[in-house]
Amino acid sequence: MTMTSDMHARAVTLISKERVEGISAAEQEWLDRHLRECPRCAESANATQQALRSLRALRSAVPRELAARTQFRVRLRAQELQAREPRWRLIWAMCGASWVAGAATAPYVWRGLEWFGHRAGLPDLVWKMGFGVWWALPAIVAAAVLLMEGGERGAARDAGGAA
Amino acid sequence: MADDKKSLVQGLRQRDPELLDRLIEEYQYRLFRYLLYITGNTERAEDFFQETWIRVLERGHQYDGKFKFEAWLFTIARNLVIDWQRQKKAVSLDSMMDPEEGKGFEPVDEKAESPLNLFLQEETQGRVQASLEQLPAAYREVLLLRFQEEMQLDEIARIQATPISTVKSRLYRGLDALKGLLAGGAA
Repeated sequence: MTMTSDMHARAVTLISKERVEGISAAEQEWLDRHLRECPRCAESANATQQALRSLRALRSAVPRELAARTQFRVRLRAQELQAREPRWRLIWAMCGASWVAGAATAPYVWRGLEWFGHRAGLPDLVWKMGFGVWWALPAIVAAAVLLMEGGERGAARDAGGAA
Repeated sequence: MADDKKSLVQGLRQRDPELLDRLIEEYQYRLFRYLLYITGNTERAEDFFQETWIRVLERGHQYDGKFKFEAWLFTIARNLVIDWQRQKKAVSLDSMMDPEEGKGFEPVDEKAESPLNLFLQEETQGRVQASLEQLPAAYREVLLLRFQEEMQLDEIARIQATPISTVKSRLYRGLDALKGLLAGGAA
C-alpha cells in the first residue's frame, strides 16, 4: 500500500487521540494496520507510550508528618467552629425574640413615640423615623455582629497567610 | 458504593473528625502530588495541603456527592492556589492559567531548589521530571489529572472550570510537548 503524508498525519493524530479521548473501533483498526506497515509512525506510537509510562511511574513522597500536622490543625479548627455554633444560635434566638416582641408592642411604641413627639414639639417626620430605627434595631445589631465575625475571620486568615 | 458516598456526605456535613482524619490519610499522596505539580514548590504545596483540608472542614456541607470526592477536593485545592496567585499578582485568571496567553500560570519559586528533584531518585524519573518542569503548569496539571489520576475529561473540565475542548487541547499540546522534551533529552 502506498503511504501518503495525509496517512502519516492521520496516524499521528490518532495516536494522541487514542490516549486523550479514545478512538472508534474502525479508527483503531486502521491505526493498528498502519502502525504494522509504517516504522516511523510505530516509533511515534512507541514514544507516546514511553512518555506516558514514564509519567505514570513518577513518584513523589509526602513530607513526613504532613498528614499528622494537618489532622491536628483540622481538629483545632473544628473545635473553634463548634465553640462558635452555640453563640450563633443565641444570636438568632435573640433576634427572633426581638422581632416577635417588636411586632407585639409596635402599636404601643407608635403611640408612645407620637405622644412624646407632640409633647417635645418635634416634627412628625422625626418621631416616625425614630419608630423606624426602633424597628430596624435587631437587624442592625445582627448585621454588626456578622460584620465583626467576618472581620475577625479575615484577620485570622491574613495572619495565617502571612505566617 | 452509594452508601459510602452517602456516609461521606453526611460525615462532611457533620464535620466528623474521624472521617476527616481518614480522608487526609487516604488522599495525602494524591493531593500533595497534585499541589506539587501546580505550585512547583514543596513548601507551598505543604501550606496549600493544610489549607485545603481546613476548607474541606469548613465547606463540607457544600459537597453533595454528585461527583467524585477527589474532583471536589482538587477543585478546592486549585481555587486556593489561584486565589493566592491572584493576591500576589494583579493578573487575570485566564492569563494565569492559559499557557497560550503569555507565560501562563507558573508559580514556581526560582530561588528554591527544584522541588521534584527532592523527591525523584532514579535517572529516568529525573529526566521526566526535568521535562515536566519545562511545561506550563496548566499542561502539567491536565497530564497529571488524565494520566496519573485517570480522571475523565468532564471531571478535569469541572476542576479547571473550562470547556472540555480546552482540556483536550491542553492535553494534546501537553502530550506533544512532553514527548518532544523526552525525545530531545534522550537524544
